[in-house]
Amino acid sequence: MKVIVITSGKGGVGKTTTSAAFASGLALRGYKTAVIDFDVGLRNLDLIMGCERRVVYDLVNVVNGEARLNQALIKDKHCENLFILPASQTRDKDALTEEGVEKVLEELQHMGFDYVVCDSPAGIERGAVMALTFADEAVVTSNPEVSSVRDSDRILGILQSKSKRARDGGEPVKEHLLITRYSPKRVDEGEMLSYKDVQELLRVPLIGVIPESESVLHASNQGTPAIHLKGTDVAEAYADVVARFLGEERPLRFVNYEKPGLIKRLFGGK
Amino acid sequence: MSASAPVQFRNTTLGATVAVLQATEPPALADALHKMFGGMPDFFNGEAVILDFAALAEVPSSIDWAGLNSLMRRYRLQPIGVFNLPPEHGEGARRAGLAQLDEAVTGNPRQIETPAPARAPEPPAAAPQAPAPSPQPATASTMFIDRPLRSGQQIYARGADLVLVGGVSPGAEVIADGSIHCYGPLRGRAIAGAQGDDRARIITSNFGPELVSIAGVFRTFERGIPETIAGRAAQVRLSGTENTLNIEALQPI
Repeated sequence: MKVIVITSGKGGVGKTTTSAAFASGLALRGYKTAVIDFDVGLRNLDLIMGCERRVVYDLVNVVNGEARLNQALIKDKHCENLFILPASQTRDKDALTEEGVEKVLEELQHMGFDYVVCDSPAGIERGAVMALTFADEAVVTSNPEVSSVRDSDRILGILQSKSKRARDGGEPVKEHLLITRYSPKRVDEGEMLSYKDVQELLRVPLIGVIPESESVLHASNQGTPAIHLKGTDVAEAYADVVARFLGEERPLRFVNYEKPGLIKRLFGGK
Repeated sequence: MSASAPVQFRNTTLGATVAVLQATEPPALADALHKMFGGMPDFFNGEAVILDFAALAEVPSSIDWAGLNSLMRRYRLQPIGVFNLPPEHGEGARRAGLAQLDEAVTGNPRQIETPAPARAPEPPAAAPQAPAPSPQPATASTMFIDRPLRSGQQIYARGADLVLVGGVSPGAEVIADGSIHCYGPLRGRAIAGAQGDDRARIITSNFGPELVSIAGVFRTFERGIPETIAGRAAQVRLSGTENTLNIEALQPI
């Protein structure tokens, strides 16, 4: 079993959207996958996954022994192999203990899960540290702007010092950079950092670029992970990310801005 | 004895770090170590350490040798022996595999704190001094950091030069008693000659720091870094009798 943390430092960059899409993508490939919301007190993943009405027990209940893990796991409505472990909305992040989280992960391993995706809260405090402590790999999500890049850099440092792998002095956590909310047009106009700039600043291998898109908002509101939006650039970009994560080669897409031609400009169009 | 014997004995002088303990309870020491090195578990690189008990306030009734050993190992220190151990604990130390080194070492066993001796001027485009980041002998006065140093992290090369193979991000801080060599973008704060060595230098393949300082003479770049050196290989050193900071691009030869 592999544990992957989706983290960023900064809030609002697309961690939960990415967690939902990435976990769904792994499940669509046939892997038994669990996605855990570590944002205790500000839970959102259940909304993005469209299972908010089915939450009975949560991560904190399981950590405290008030519920069994299989009582708290919610089966996803889109994918056969995907399960969601929601966060508690009524507690705070101090309710999480390292031992408790470790126990939950061990139990998931016993249940035969292939991948566990940990949706980290923003910040560098307890919740975020708990989410990355047991990670084997990390997807660091960043928007193409300087404050997001700075915070991603900070969280990479915390991965290097506070993850269990770092503390045990073993093989370091494998890092991936995911750039979200990317607008090739604004990059072209010099208003946004290019993905090359971001990669150069962070010096972490790039796993994908997700274009800025209105369909993400629609998907969130409907409770459908973005990867299920057939035919959209976002869904295809996330599918590419999953493929690259699984070791396949995919060329980078949706990063170049093509100026609209004369006819398009005259007659409009999207 | 022929040279083909499966074991040979030789004398050596071993450099080791000395940990002066004021307490022996692992939890108290763990707290203190966490405060000192929490952000950098790799501060020590498998160095040998000698535990010095001279500063103990009182002799404890028992010492948790296994706990001490594993705590030191967690910080990548390898305990090899003890100094100034109260005699009643000698047996415990022996069973924990630690040698009593009081007689073996003469003079001050403390780690060298004086700045590194003067070096011959280095050619500007010098390759990294050691191509392989293999474990350094404990005597090496160079600290290697192989991964990029991230915002919020801090490294201090005590009594040593600091070589950063992966670069330094904005918001990170690197400090050395000797010189700092950065083979990658240097974008954080770089403080060389921290104990006052005015011959220390900062050399980087990609100049872009927030602050540079040598022997306490510092400079920030509020108005941006001059175009002639920004992003280029550059060297910072003190020059002249007034000790002004001199930053110059390294000319490719």
